[in-house]
Amino acid sequence: MRLHPALKRWESVLALLLIAEILLFGAINPVFLQPATLLYATSDFIHVGITALALTLVIITGGIDLSLGSVMGLSAITLGILWVAGIDIWVAAALALVVGTLGGVLNAVAIHLSKVNPLVITLGTGFLYGGAALVLSGLAGATGYEGISNFDPAFVNLANIEVLGLPLPFALFLVLTAAFMALLHRTRFGRYVYLIGQNPRAAAYAGTPVFRTLVVAYALTSLMAAVSGLILASYFGSARSDFGSTALMPAITAVVLGGTSIYGGSGTILGTALAALLVGYLQTGLQLVGVSSHVSSALSGGLLVIVVALRSLTEMGRVWIQHRRVLRNVAAE
Amino acid sequence: MIIRFLQRHREASVALIIIFLFAILGLVDRSYFSIDTVLLVYGNSLILFVLAIGATMVMATHGLDVSVGSIMGLAAVVAGLLMNAGWAIPSAIGVALLIGLVCGLFNGALVSLLNVSAIVATLGTLGLYRGLVHLLSGGAWIEGLPEGFKALTKAGSLGLSPVAWLVLALLVVAHFCLRYTAFGRSMFAVGDNREGARLIGIRVNEVQIAAYGLNGLLAALAGVIFASQIGFIPNTAGTGMEMRAIASSVLGGVSLLGGTGTVLGAALGAYFMTSIDSILVLLRLQAYWNDIIAGAILLVVLITDGKIREAVDRLLRYQKYRKFIDPQAAGQQPAGSVRVARSRQAALETSEVSK
Repeated sequence: MRLHPALKRWESVLALLLIAEILLFGAINPVFLQPATLLYATSDFIHVGITALALTLVIITGGIDLSLGSVMGLSAITLGILWVAGIDIWVAAALALVVGTLGGVLNAVAIHLSKVNPLVITLGTGFLYGGAALVLSGLAGATGYEGISNFDPAFVNLANIEVLGLPLPFALFLVLTAAFMALLHRTRFGRYVYLIGQNPRAAAYAGTPVFRTLVVAYALTSLMAAVSGLILASYFGSARSDFGSTALMPAITAVVLGGTSIYGGSGTILGTALAALLVGYLQTGLQLVGVSSHVSSALSGGLLVIVVALRSLTEMGRVWIQHRRVLRNVAAE
Repeated sequence: MIIRFLQRHREASVALIIIFLFAILGLVDRSYFSIDTVLLVYGNSLILFVLAIGATMVMATHGLDVSVGSIMGLAAVVAGLLMNAGWAIPSAIGVALLIGLVCGLFNGALVSLLNVSAIVATLGTLGLYRGLVHLLSGGAWIEGLPEGFKALTKAGSLGLSPVAWLVLALLVVAHFCLRYTAFGRSMFAVGDNREGARLIGIRVNEVQIAAYGLNGLLAALAGVIFASQIGFIPNTAGTGMEMRAIASSVLGGVSLLGGTGTVLGAALGAYFMTSIDSILVLLRLQAYWNDIIAGAILLVVLITDGKIREAVDRLLRYQKYRKFIDPQAAGQQPAGSVRVARSRQAALETSEVSK
């Protein structure tokens, strides 16, 4: 049995799973199949997808960024503080994005300087940025879970504007997916990202600008996390320091489920985008069917375990079959 | 001598930095070293101590477990439900610990037998176990725990609660087991070089699964301590603790790349993480400064440690190749060796650059 090469790809498996999932939930609850439901359901989880797109780059380089959840909160709080201080909301948003990007640059510089595992460094900067967000919101007098609200209505409406019939966050997600696909798969920078992930030492010997590439990858991840923070602030109409605390794990899940190797060196943007939708719709679908949101998060955890274990098992099986074939050929001779 | 020592004891440099920080604290406020303060910080860091022991074991095998927070929550909820259903306290705790062990073994099986990368596997079980917490508790807080259970963490003999004594004993036992028993050393061997460990006859898979299993067991113990300390069990019990546990271990010199670290170091790290709270009190800052200070200290320690290690490596390499670089130092070298020395030096420099 010979499959078309395109069908053998992990992305097509994900796409099939996504379609099957939507049809299944549609069969249980027809409301799910209405285009409006499908489109507006994305607003609940699309911030995870947007962050995961950029996180894919970092994970392909063999790194990881645990600080992105904190950056989401930090950018939202920065926006809130500046708005309370009387600065124009668009200027405040731009500054929040700058703060987020600087966080990513700091990550890359710290990793480069200390040569310590990125996991550890971003764990530390995660505490740092999350703490900074807490301190900022504390100084502004916003008590814990209330946050800063009363934003400019124009900003709050942003999450509900439609572009070509799509909600703005979802449209942004699609545009960013295309942009990141072009960046990763069609530019020299993208090839550097893969090369560093495959073999950092070989990349350095080959004259790859390792440090510059890493700075861009981490800065983009933080920038996207900051964008997600602003989207959440607009969607909820308020800014809280703990916005991103639940977004980190789903973002990593989307990247890994999308076929990116956690050890670096391989992965695609399309896979991440599809996996983000798959996990997101699983959550909303289960909630529509009447499963509580906590149980649905357990199920998406279970999904991650099962899918990754199955991939690992098929890989082990493939190697085993290959060994048998070789052994049989040797025996035949 | 000192360089050799630092080279042999990966955790020593971090321990030195931490002790230095403690010394600063002591200078700022003398009462910091008073018995009361030490006991208070110790009592507050019991949970982190227990988690740090587990994290040290898992990280020694070149693994990572981010699901411990959820295992904590699960064990606490199970213990709480059983006790409120009228079970005796010891058997309820026993079942909770058993559940933690099973959760840990499941993590270990995923990582070891199915070859799933540790962070991905435990990321999945993080969500899975947290979901079980909500399923079991039905979304409600568990309150009205028996007084006998809460008394386990009330101060007793010598100002320490029964649980505090238990944790102290655990720390000592774990430290010596990991350093001086065959089982403990085999964890480090697996983490340092998995294939090499297999070739010298260590049952690699079993050791790895055992490390995760014990880690689950300890996480469950942490959950029970948590429940006993605060007297009720919210659904979010243990959330975020995994990061604190990993951070304390890393702070204490346990390498995420496996093969090095001690329980003593991890315990120092955990103690330090908790005593940041008391720094805040000393500096008269609000509680929300906690994370930013923890993060800043963590980063400073890590970067300093990285720099120290780099310097130690460079010094050692210099001593190794000194006679090639500087013929005078080595005495009577034949004249021809100078050219060799040049190329060695060049090789040395390029290898520096590449790292």
